[in-house]
Amino acid sequence: MIEIEDLHKHFGAVRALDGVSLSVAAGEVVCLIGPSGSGKSTLLRCINFLEEPTSGVVRVDGNRVGWEDGGARRASARELARTRAGIGMVFQHFYLWPHMVSLENVIEGLVTVKGMPVSEAAARGRALLEKVGLADKMEAYPEHLSGGQRQRVVIARALAMDPRVMLFDEPTSSLDPELVGEVLRVMEQVAAEGRTMLVATHEMGFARKVADRVVFLDQGKILEVGTPEEVFGRPRHERTRRYLETILV
Amino acid sequence: MQLDFAVAWKYLPFLLHAALTTIALTVVSQALGTIAAFFLALARMSPRAWLRRPTIAYIWVVRGTPLLLHLFFVYYAAPAFGITLDAFPAAIIAMSASAAAYNAEIIRAGLQAVHRGQVEAAYAVGMRYGQVVRRIIVPQAVRIIIPPYMGNAISHTKNSSLASVITVPELMLTAQMIYSSTYRAIEILTVTGAIYLVLTSCLSALQMYCERLTAYEQRGLGEGRRRRLRLDAPLPTLPA
Repeated sequence: MIEIEDLHKHFGAVRALDGVSLSVAAGEVVCLIGPSGSGKSTLLRCINFLEEPTSGVVRVDGNRVGWEDGGARRASARELARTRAGIGMVFQHFYLWPHMVSLENVIEGLVTVKGMPVSEAAARGRALLEKVGLADKMEAYPEHLSGGQRQRVVIARALAMDPRVMLFDEPTSSLDPELVGEVLRVMEQVAAEGRTMLVATHEMGFARKVADRVVFLDQGKILEVGTPEEVFGRPRHERTRRYLETILV
Repeated sequence: MQLDFAVAWKYLPFLLHAALTTIALTVVSQALGTIAAFFLALARMSPRAWLRRPTIAYIWVVRGTPLLLHLFFVYYAAPAFGITLDAFPAAIIAMSASAAAYNAEIIRAGLQAVHRGQVEAAYAVGMRYGQVVRRIIVPQAVRIIIPPYMGNAISHTKNSSLASVITVPELMLTAQMIYSSTYRAIEILTVTGAIYLVLTSCLSALQMYCERLTAYEQRGLGEGRRRRLRLDAPLPTLPA
């Protein structure tokens, strides 16, 4: 589903990604863990080309992201938009559009990008909002929602496009601790439906329970990949061990 | 000193008629200037230097020189380039050019105040640049822009009096003509000032109305939007 080959992303002298290769199968849930600044976010942002990689290849469904004609030339804006429409993204800071109510946020992509009639999109959006437990918040502006509710709207907004892949960029890192659970439960539900997910997170409990594989990143490099049992139970790398010690205390 | 407001009353129809010219001059130049300003603002933020640099230069020159000079320039200097214009169109051109420069910076500030994450979220669902501008950036920017934009529109209204120097028969020139023949400067200027005050007060009221209109989260969904979203229909179930 996703193949990443020798991905580099440099910001000036900083190597945010320093040769990352990873492949994610359809239906797989992969959690990215690692200290702040290890490159988790950058990796996700390169997958949907919000950041343009310095070098390396990202393929989603066999198509090289940001390029067309089999990688012969740069993708047009139209092509890039089409690719992004098939990749859902959930941001740490939500980025709901404040001038639209929840339901409008959820259906915006369907209406504007896919050209679906509002009535049809709204029916789908309402069902999705109910699924994430927000049937009573359809008409609420983001400003009037709690962080956990906002993030669930964001997940519904991404799911509305029926993406092949869902990227989660630290979805619970800016939430109050008591609101983390409701978002993780929705993510678990999405994973249980068999959607391919790539999740950058500090929630080790979630990674342990839901992930098929866990990837440990440090200084832009993948240090360790394995099942949750392997990475959490028998980390091979000294850095992984130290990181897990600091976070699991 | 004896005041004779009967004179002002007698000439009031002339002043009101001239006020229509002032309104036309202001509204048309502000409208043209705003449309141009929107594109100038986008060009000013462009990563392409060939778009950005001329825009910066234009704003720098036009904001840095007096409107009075622009009016003279278009009206008196244009014939040297083989273009002869009547006073009114000349004033429209000069005032639109000026409004464009000022409004471009106001609009740019509003567009840039929209958080980058808002824009990224829109790209992430597959929107293209034009859609992002139309659906995400402009609706949020409008709210930020209203107060400085309307403040500028009020200045622009008052600055239209400068068009009197190139013989546009607007409110100020008409007032001057009346008091120089009646010698009733105090009365005529008082009434003229009152007319300007009415015009600018309308703009202040419009500003308050627009601010209320865009305070979306306090107004909730209107009936029209509720109906469009079929919010009263029974909740559908998602196909498995």
